[in-house]
Amino acid sequence: MPDSKSNLSRTLNPSTVVVVGDKRMNGYMWLNNMRDFTGKLYSVQVDPAEISGIEELGVRNYTSLAEVPGEIDYVLCAVPRTIAPRIIADCAARHVGGVALFTSGFAETGEEEGVRLQSELGEIARRAGLALIGPNCMGLYNAKLGVRQAGEQPTGEAGPVGFISQSGTHAINFSLTGAAQGVRISASISIGNAEVLDVADYVDYLAADSDTQVIAMYVEGTKDGRRLLRSLRRAAEAKPVVIWKGGVTEAGARATASHTASLATSNDVWNAVVRQAGAIATESLDETIDVLKALLRCKPATGLGMGLLAMTGGQSVVITDAFVRAGLDVPLLTDASYAELAGFFNVIGGSYKNPLDIGGTIGFGGQHEQLQRLLDILEADANVDAIAMELASGFLARRWQADPASLDPLLDLLVAHQDRSAKPLVTILHPGHLEEVTAKARARVVERGLAVFPSFERAARALSSAIAYWRSRAAAEA
Amino acid sequence: MPSTTSDSTAAIIAGAREQGRTVLSEVEAKQLLAEAGIPVVEARLAATRDEAVGLAGEFGYPVALKIVSAQITHKSDIGGVKLNLGTADEVGAAFDAIIAAATSADASAKLDGVSVQRMAEPGVEVITGMTMDAQFGPVLMFGLGGVLVEVLKDVSFRVVPITERDATQMIHEIQGFPILEGHRGQEPADIPALQDLLVKLSSFVEAHPDVAELDLNPVFAYPSGAVAVDARIVLSAPDDA
Repeated sequence: MPDSKSNLSRTLNPSTVVVVGDKRMNGYMWLNNMRDFTGKLYSVQVDPAEISGIEELGVRNYTSLAEVPGEIDYVLCAVPRTIAPRIIADCAARHVGGVALFTSGFAETGEEEGVRLQSELGEIARRAGLALIGPNCMGLYNAKLGVRQAGEQPTGEAGPVGFISQSGTHAINFSLTGAAQGVRISASISIGNAEVLDVADYVDYLAADSDTQVIAMYVEGTKDGRRLLRSLRRAAEAKPVVIWKGGVTEAGARATASHTASLATSNDVWNAVVRQAGAIATESLDETIDVLKALLRCKPATGLGMGLLAMTGGQSVVITDAFVRAGLDVPLLTDASYAELAGFFNVIGGSYKNPLDIGGTIGFGGQHEQLQRLLDILEADANVDAIAMELASGFLARRWQADPASLDPLLDLLVAHQDRSAKPLVTILHPGHLEEVTAKARARVVERGLAVFPSFERAARALSSAIAYWRSRAAAEA
Repeated sequence: MPSTTSDSTAAIIAGAREQGRTVLSEVEAKQLLAEAGIPVVEARLAATRDEAVGLAGEFGYPVALKIVSAQITHKSDIGGVKLNLGTADEVGAAFDAIIAAATSADASAKLDGVSVQRMAEPGVEVITGMTMDAQFGPVLMFGLGGVLVEVLKDVSFRVVPITERDATQMIHEIQGFPILEGHRGQEPADIPALQDLLVKLSSFVEAHPDVAELDLNPVFAYPSGAVAVDARIVLSAPDDA
């Protein structure tokens, strides 16, 4: 008989999904979330007042799991907590693959009743080898199959990121905000109180999943830290692992206790765990997405030497500070590079020591053959391991406002360069005073597969984290 | 490296348990650590003045004497520690003084005697130890000793078991690492010896799940080698063992 863990794969890749206990009051949220599901979708609901609404959605309703035809791979359960153990027992009797419990009111309440009910349903699930997800969670997201945690989540092609989240909100926000920046998901699991399957089980699954190239997670705690560390270390040997830890301050830790009943571990120990695992620590949703962009959209590099390209003198100074503060180097270029640069670089209002103040030389993005020469020089320069380029200071945004297509030749050039190049390339698109214009321009950069960031600091920090991962992995393999 | 508990290690732990103690004496703690291959300044128990003088002669001068009693935890506060004793007469007088001080501090305390150990050559002071984390179990800590650890909390952590690479990173991670590399013309400390000590400590902790807390403070790091000058081991409460 398969156990809870081995049933996870079946649950995450279902052919048949059943929603138990969906309600009009919630706008039949769960059935709506599954409306693009590629397999068979059924409902179980006993309340006649609800059944009519469910049937109006075109979903076949049954009054018990026993009546649902065929094998059931994934059950999303949204019944009140006192009924939950009975539904779990029904799932066990039907040999369901796995069940996610949207229902809350368990161990996270700290009440005796909640704690008891949670361990009761855990016991049933474990005995039956049922993959119990949660309770107190938002279930699974599989974009390819149309299994969702929220109706806004994109469906269709699978992305490269496997996401584990101890918060349903963060799971959904990550999937939406990430997708808007080109960071898409292979599989995402909202794990809630993690009664049966814990973070380590999901890490093991995603480490073995061929659709998943990078694992990211929002974690508040775990029941077995040593097992988690082993799983993280094994996973990070094969693919990058990004860990966003919630509750790192004392007051934050108090909040995690009531959110997911997690035990407190000092921030020092968590940081040590992340380092010991060879994983990457992040502190926010934005930083997590930033690091994933650097990991997924940039070539891997282990060297720290940056070649920096900015449009003006002032930006050359601050881009340099940002990258050095993030732990990267901004070295002098080789003599060969300087000899070549001296031949064509416009030093009136520009400079090329590194950082390169290139605005005048490339006609602020208008003279592409010059930009190509600059990129080729940095590509060939042995002191440069990675390249960062400011795409535009504030005043350039006006040009795209007047002519949105004016960005395209620049992007064509950068994409062609990135394809040929062995070095990571990060781009920065700043203009904040024309956020609407900038957002559209940024979306075009994202679409073309480039890593683009809204500030030097964020680009620097993300690239530094990605390089630290590739360095740590190279050192471990040496 | 012993992967299983040796007879005498088991006997020391069993003995403490029998007496209802969770705190091991320095003599016991160091014996356990020495058996695990961790370099310590050996300490032995002297029940009488003559034994103390005899041990001092065996170890070589100068020596340090410390009170050994399960009831007395803050040894130096009550005058239970005498350092840098250079002769047999000094050792004898120190023994009497310590016993007198301990008796006047707590007449009901059961005194096992006095520990005798050779004064260690000064080195770069580092500390290491183990605490229990609710989620990750035993966690090793490493830092520079004295004010750097107390005020600046300049320490690094790793979850047991650690690899050699983890040990290297722990040592390099602390802000004060340049001090170990040799500051202002000082000879560099023996980093591989510290790595080895950390890895052995990790193995020791793994082999003894009923050790709940452990402190080596200070450890002296030398240009060649490193040694734990003081050691403290606390066993888990009987219910958790």
